[in-house]
Amino acid sequence: MAGILAPGLTRTLRSLSPLAGQLLEKALGNLRWSRRTLYVQMASPKEVKASIANVEPNLAVEMSEQEVLEEKLENVKAVLQAYRFTGLSGKLTSRGVCVCINTAFEGNLLDSYFVDLVIQKPLRIHHHSVPVFIPLEEIAAKYLQTNIQHFLFSLCEYLNAYSGRKYQADRLQSDFAALLTGPLQRNPLCNLLSFTYKLDPGGQSFPFCARLLYKDLTATLPTDVTVTYQGVDALSTSWEEQRASHETLFCMKPLHQVFASFARKGEKLDMSLVS
Amino acid sequence: MVTFQLEFQILEIQNKERLSSAVTDLNIIMEPTECSELSEFVSRAEERKDLFMFFRSLHFFVEWFEYRKRTFKHFKEKYPDAVHLSEGPSSPSIVIRSASQPGFELVIVWRIQIDEDGKVFPKLDLLTKVPQRALELDKNRAIETAPLSFRTLLGVLGIEAALESLIKSLRAEQNG
Repeated sequence: MAGILAPGLTRTLRSLSPLAGQLLEKALGNLRWSRRTLYVQMASPKEVKASIANVEPNLAVEMSEQEVLEEKLENVKAVLQAYRFTGLSGKLTSRGVCVCINTAFEGNLLDSYFVDLVIQKPLRIHHHSVPVFIPLEEIAAKYLQTNIQHFLFSLCEYLNAYSGRKYQADRLQSDFAALLTGPLQRNPLCNLLSFTYKLDPGGQSFPFCARLLYKDLTATLPTDVTVTYQGVDALSTSWEEQRASHETLFCMKPLHQVFASFARKGEKLDMSLVS
Repeated sequence: MVTFQLEFQILEIQNKERLSSAVTDLNIIMEPTECSELSEFVSRAEERKDLFMFFRSLHFFVEWFEYRKRTFKHFKEKYPDAVHLSEGPSSPSIVIRSASQPGFELVIVWRIQIDEDGKVFPKLDLLTKVPQRALELDKNRAIETAPLSFRTLLGVLGIEAALESLIKSLRAEQNG
């Protein structure tokens, strides 16, 4: 498994307007512009050559029209590809526009979803790949007809949050299975998680039970956290302190990062806790 | 409009099942003038290499920024004598004064905050400036409780109506 820096993926984006609507228009505009320019230039190859000669008279290199056009096309393609990294991009279709929402969590690129819009009155969603448990109809009912930008950004929020929660749960299952004492229970929306875990997997202590509820579907941190400890010495201050501190940790940091800190601490386990 | 410069690196790893990509480096450079309210957010995005959250939150921030600018501008035009924008058109606060009550001032500070999760929300506060004598006469402690009452007023009337009512109340002294 080799890591490769994909060629041409280091980009400098200058002065991008952050508004998705403008981005979309720009991306689409560029596409239209490039088509127009290509046609124009193909129609009059003599003029292309002449204009290059006029602008840079000292340039001895003679680029063929083909190369000039190819370079322009590559440039436009690169710009369009770069828009992917804003999280929201789109392309023209025969009916309207297909918007692609790319999700990520803290720099890790995750799944993409698309919404195919038909430009008609009223604006209509032709088809989409949004999971059924994301309230797409609700968001569309509120914003699609009146403020398409808000519709897209709102949908972005929900999808990114869902992706982020899913990512955290997946990482917990894959990277920290050793600390879990039972299966991770989760719902499709990944906003209700339930699991049991131990800080010292081989040890004699009882496991902690955690329940994480994410009431805010646009958030990647839980709103309600309950950690319980059922051991016989549950009332001892050291266990109570741990339990309470875990509750706080789960509220403040992503799930897999909390477990990473558990794993690190586990390497220097304080034997006085195990009585 | 907010201008910025962005540089990032993506590492793509292809294993037999899938292609995984991660942002391995992120640098965001912003003009210092727009920076002040955003600087903490920008550092956090850079630290977490959260390119997508940067764009998303920036969009909502700019929406709120423009709304605040429009709202303040509206009140400045409607009540030119009473309303003052201390730091120009993009000022985060307005000062309400009444010509007939020179010692009194109401300052409304409207901050646009971005939390840990990248959520953008407004936070409005009321500051009062009153002459010493007025404080002494204020038996009901109206001035002391004003900031809290303002928060309640916001909840009931919303931003625009709350601001309008404050401006009107200070100006009312002129007529009565």
